[in-house]
Amino acid sequence: MKHRARGAGERGAALAAALVALAVSAALVAGLTDAVRTEVILARERRSMVAALAAADACIAQHLATVPFGWDLDALLLGPDGAGGTPDDGTIVTPPGCTGSVARAPGPASPPRVLLGIDAAARGGRRLVDAVIVRDPTAATPALVWTTLPPSPDAVTGTMALDGADADPASADLPGLAAPAAPADLDGWLAAQRPHIAQTPRTAAPIRALPPPLSELATRAEAAGPGGAELLAPQGAPSSPPALALVGGDLVVSDARQGSGVLVVEGALDIRGSLDFTGVVVAVGGVKIAGGATLGVAGALWLGAPWPPTAPLTVAGHLTLRQSRAAIAAAEGVFALPRRAILRGVRDVG
Amino acid sequence: MRGGPQRGSVLVEQLVGTMLTLLVLGTLVAVVGTGTTLLLAAAARGEVEDTAQLAVEAFTFDVRRAGYDPTAAGLVPVSEARPDRLTLAADLNGDGVVAATSEETTAYACAAQQLSRIIGRQSLPLAGGVLACGLRYLDATGLPLAVPPGGLDVAGRSRIRAVWLDLTVRQRGTPTNRSVVIALRSTP
Repeated sequence: MKHRARGAGERGAALAAALVALAVSAALVAGLTDAVRTEVILARERRSMVAALAAADACIAQHLATVPFGWDLDALLLGPDGAGGTPDDGTIVTPPGCTGSVARAPGPASPPRVLLGIDAAARGGRRLVDAVIVRDPTAATPALVWTTLPPSPDAVTGTMALDGADADPASADLPGLAAPAAPADLDGWLAAQRPHIAQTPRTAAPIRALPPPLSELATRAEAAGPGGAELLAPQGAPSSPPALALVGGDLVVSDARQGSGVLVVEGALDIRGSLDFTGVVVAVGGVKIAGGATLGVAGALWLGAPWPPTAPLTVAGHLTLRQSRAAIAAAEGVFALPRRAILRGVRDVG
Repeated sequence: MRGGPQRGSVLVEQLVGTMLTLLVLGTLVAVVGTGTTLLLAAAARGEVEDTAQLAVEAFTFDVRRAGYDPTAAGLVPVSEARPDRLTLAADLNGDGVVAATSEETTAYACAAQQLSRIIGRQSLPLAGGVLACGLRYLDATGLPLAVPPGGLDVAGRSRIRAVWLDLTVRQRGTPTNRSVVIALRSTP
């Protein structure tokens, strides 16, 4: 068989076509790769930004959780050493991953507020956020029982009834207990006391909380011109308007008494008879309820611990607590209660 | 000198060659066409996703800072709340006043297949090709407030705790959806 020899002009277009195809394909792949790469970079940047923003929000929330209940925010401006005019003024202790500082907010001094500046970093992103921190305008209690120390294991040998529901169905349910302890520990305490403690279904689970500011509260109560134990009327007497009552030492209630407003006992509150109170009962030295005795509170019970610190709560008799926002509001009407610090605005700086 | 059989052989070769060439070219055109379509689709998808995401980011940014009031002047964070329009206020410079012509007053408007961010009196289109755009307002329990056509009144706006934006954008090709709920930081 005879084959023709290829001439110089007869190589065909296959190579050229293949090269063109390769070039076009390469251009397309390059374009596609570039588009995808750009989108991936953008997505990564966005994820970093969102993570950093979430870190800033978390940092603010965690810092707020460390601010004790109080009446103003001046202590925040003093820094960790609590003294003014020192280099640490305005600095704050923040969780890992963020730094922050506190400054006085512009404008009038009232209502109390500070500017919290947070610099947070996460996943390669970084965000600067300014936050306005104020005291909650609404008086509230973190729980029905708010203690300086967690209750001891044998605190309740009598009965304790907790009702976290308010008469207003729109109100949030309140925890039965708030204390500076891990919620799991408080749950455990509650479970161990189960035979002695009855909770309604609308009583929320115990929460961790910083101790109530009892020392400052007592000081402020003294300055507010309070009445004394005589404001606790015999049960059955016509109800009197809410008032602030301050008892300098221990208070022993050996008969049947009632009252409303704010009762501050700088020592221990020793119930040997019966006391019905509507409002806030503050016992700096803790509460003891003798066998057969009864303490009923519609509002809140804030407890310190006796010195030396032992159990803030000893219930051999009966303790009944139920939420009453109306009672708290009435108590606030006679004495300014401490408030939690809350966020009231943010500005993303960069 | 060429013989007859040789001439026929060349013709067949040319026909086969032409067929093969056409086949290769057709395949090449199809591949290039598919690649181009893919590239354009990817670019369009990326663009529409970018557009929607940028709109959501701007919305998030503005709702987060609504009601920023360092001087405690009593600023109202939401001054207008309608299903298709939202106006936010913030005292960003801390002078106690919300300037109506600056970034301290920011509005979002869904109109004419477009989502716009209005700063003061300047309107900035955030997204075109908007197929759906709606605003909802949630109260403290997380439930949507019923919004009359004229928008929420002062009492209704004071109950707003979060703002919900639904956005569907299609510029070329597949539409993309975004639903985002942003809580106001200036309310309890």
